[in-house]
Amino acid sequence: MRTLPLLLLLLACSAWPQVLTDPRDMALPDTGFSRPDPTDYELVLENGLHAYIARADQVPLVTMSAFVRAGKVNDTAPGAAEALADALQRGGTADMNAGEFAETLRLMTADFVVEMHDEWTEVSLNVPTEDFDQALALFSEVLRNPQISGTNIERAGAGAGAESADLGGESGAALYEGSMNDAVAHLRDIVYEGHAFADHPGPGDFERLGPSDVASFHRRYFVPGNTTIAVAGRVDVDTVNTRLADQLSDWEAAPVPPVEQQTAIKLKRRALHHYPARKLQSWLVIGHALPDLPLEDRAAFDVMTYIVGAYHLNTRLMRETRYKYGYTNDASAFVDEQWFGPGIYSFRSYSRPEVIKSIYQNMMGELERTRREEVSDREMFVAKGALTDGLFPVRYLDGYTLTRSLALEKLRYGNHQRSASYVDRVRKVTKRDVLNVAQKYLQLENMQIVLVGEEAFAIE
Amino acid sequence: MTGGCMWLKSRILLLGCSLLYGMSVWADNYELPILEHTFDNGLRLLVIERPREQRVVSKIFTDMGALNEVPGEYGAAHFLEHLMFKGTPTLGSLDWERESQIHEQIRATEDALTEELNRARNDLRQRGVFHDYRHAETTPRIEELRALIDSLNAQAQELSEEGPMKVWYQAFGGTRSTATTEQEYMKFDVDLPASRVDLFLRVEADRMQNSIFRNFDAERMVLVEQRLGDLNRPETEFREAMNSLVGRASMVYIPEGYANDFEQYTRRYERELYETYFVPNNTTLIFIGGVTLREMVPLVEEYFGHMQRAPEPKRYQGREPLPSGEKRLTWRSDTLSPRVEVRYQIPAVGHPDRPAFDVLSVAFAEDLQQRLTAAGIAGAVDINTRVVHTSRFGVPASINVELKLSDADDAMAAESLLLAALAQLSKTALPEEDVAWAKKSVRTEWYRTAADPNALAFQIGHFETMDSWKTLKPYLEARDAVTPEDLRRLADRYFIAKNRSIGVVLPEEESQ
Repeated sequence: MRTLPLLLLLLACSAWPQVLTDPRDMALPDTGFSRPDPTDYELVLENGLHAYIARADQVPLVTMSAFVRAGKVNDTAPGAAEALADALQRGGTADMNAGEFAETLRLMTADFVVEMHDEWTEVSLNVPTEDFDQALALFSEVLRNPQISGTNIERAGAGAGAESADLGGESGAALYEGSMNDAVAHLRDIVYEGHAFADHPGPGDFERLGPSDVASFHRRYFVPGNTTIAVAGRVDVDTVNTRLADQLSDWEAAPVPPVEQQTAIKLKRRALHHYPARKLQSWLVIGHALPDLPLEDRAAFDVMTYIVGAYHLNTRLMRETRYKYGYTNDASAFVDEQWFGPGIYSFRSYSRPEVIKSIYQNMMGELERTRREEVSDREMFVAKGALTDGLFPVRYLDGYTLTRSLALEKLRYGNHQRSASYVDRVRKVTKRDVLNVAQKYLQLENMQIVLVGEEAFAIE
Repeated sequence: MTGGCMWLKSRILLLGCSLLYGMSVWADNYELPILEHTFDNGLRLLVIERPREQRVVSKIFTDMGALNEVPGEYGAAHFLEHLMFKGTPTLGSLDWERESQIHEQIRATEDALTEELNRARNDLRQRGVFHDYRHAETTPRIEELRALIDSLNAQAQELSEEGPMKVWYQAFGGTRSTATTEQEYMKFDVDLPASRVDLFLRVEADRMQNSIFRNFDAERMVLVEQRLGDLNRPETEFREAMNSLVGRASMVYIPEGYANDFEQYTRRYERELYETYFVPNNTTLIFIGGVTLREMVPLVEEYFGHMQRAPEPKRYQGREPLPSGEKRLTWRSDTLSPRVEVRYQIPAVGHPDRPAFDVLSVAFAEDLQQRLTAAGIAGAVDINTRVVHTSRFGVPASINVELKLSDADDAMAAESLLLAALAQLSKTALPEEDVAWAKKSVRTEWYRTAADPNALAFQIGHFETMDSWKTLKPYLEARDAVTPEDLRRLADRYFIAKNRSIGVVLPEEESQ
């Protein structure tokens, strides 16, 4: 803060002009951010369970989350993972049936979420602090002893899930999604065709599945050494440590399932996939498989992706579609990573049908330019600042994000080395590095172009 | 602001503020240790100090929105928000001297275009209801002028950069850089490293005073995109029809522009809105995070102190006529699930009855869902107070009791059940334990909001534009004080036939 010089200025004059200093000349100070030390938050139990606990004082709430390295791709009996997700969400525990479980959550005004991804699962419970003890006991029981029944299998088989809300909240953020989710799902099916990540269980699988298959999946993966915990809220950290030890120390240690590395994907030749839909807009998703990113490429890849299409920000894709021409509300890049296998790198937009081809051409043009020539100094300045002073620090913004980030990193990598070095690695990225990763990971000839909308267009 | 050493006075006031707000409220249910300072030019500054935090949520709220629009220009406030991302002479221009001359030519050409549109009005305007009467779309002069504007705009683009307001926030670690315009407010915001909060003041003061409406016609099409996104949802047109059924005069029920409106916006009208409302005495700055009021007062002075207090913009005072009769809408759709919906007008934030409607929504939804299930009707209950995209207003709006049904054949029975339940609500108080749970539910919901400093800052700013930030805490406390008898009294007073609008959605084929 520059209060002293300002005071002198104020004393010296009775009126002054507007300050219009160029932001680059404002001498904005260094943020002083450094990633918090994980050991300050870590609790390790003898059974191998790692937990991260932090106080978040602002409101009397507490969130407890468990992350388990097990997902849809890991089940040996097809459908077992989906059925377990249902059991965790709604089945209750060994001592509490589904109805009692739901009523207990309701009385606590709890927010309870189970999300099963391809390779990992999150179980998260948010409650008022006054209900912490009861909630932690319930949370522990759900993790360790979920009640699994045929009902869970039936519901998973029927695809029974919560209906998505049909309106956005007060911010209206959801209003423009339209059929984008459909288009992304189509791209996923195309990219992962024949791959384990596309292996969805069918009705027959659920008919053959029994509760014992689901219980077997749970027994194998939901073990202390394959789980990390995050707890944050207005709670005393020492008390949480004690309570966690009380609830989870006797969770029997068991062999940790080995990492299941998924096979790589051979890229396909560029093709357009048109899915007719009678809507007022069309949705465009361009993408291909993304191989595992080695550590040495990660920072440059992040810089490159930011420059090309950081979500809804001033980027190459936004400038060449929305800002200049008003073609669309958004054009952005998305990295859907997997933990131990190929992810998907995609670029998405949507618009009135008459300009969708122009959007496609402009997006491809920017991707091609990124492969062809070095980015500018200013683009590097913006992207590095955004990553090191903005996007990365906010992962450690408060107790909730901090414990979550640490727990996920530990589960995925087994240590915290990547986050420790991230800022330095980004700062060292050069324009040449960005060009190299663009040429390595942006494969224009292999782009799968998914169009959901009324009319298709020819691609070159 | 007439200048001088305002911050010294502020510091003295701050001591008083700290004693009043600083510690005393920290320990209670709704921790809102808001420190306030009002500058001589009318600009209001609100700060929640969190000294241990390295970042700061920064928002600037303007007391204007869709309520301030006029018919034929709906959505103009939202469009203004888009235009205010287009930069200023010092943010985005490569050669302002040359660029400014082009913008002058564009303005003059637009004036000529308006004259031509007026001259040709009788040929251009719609005459038929069903698009069955051919009217002219354009004239040669209109085409000529539009082409000239396009050409001038292209020249201006050569002299300017795209996206100049966001890029500096991005470069200096800003996150969640957004803007929102609803009926009663427009706000711009970003979360920044606390040590760089000056950047927010630099950019926003410039945006507030010197915005250049670059690339006007391309941005107009972005609004069209957003409208199309809304219309892709089958609910949108039904909800808009319900809104118009409920209200007759109030602007709160108007959506953010119809297709026709997007064509009508002019630079001149947008400039008029901008110059009228974006004045310091219609503006509130809000910061939550690692800054103090003591630091912020002189900083804000530095960037906003030169602005002069302006004539008070006219605040919206629309008044809805007294409810005078039950209204009904039958909507036919094969894409929208069958439903029965009953809406009642309810009072605004600032009215003592309004907080209790939050509790009533939760408690009655549980009661109604049980009744529906007991009656063997498959469906889901949603009780909300949403109009367009917002759920609370500083003017009367509505409570919407929605029953989404699995089977359209249940519509009549569901409506009877709903009306009977509403009637009973006004006669028999809901059980004490149900109301206690509903109060806990809304309290927890608030905690989840306040846990996020961004959401908390939004609520403070929203209340400031609806009523006053000082109303927020009493509003929350009033919800905690609600009794079952209060809810019965509300139902008795507001859930009357004259104040009721009923909407029923049925499949198309039943009307054929």
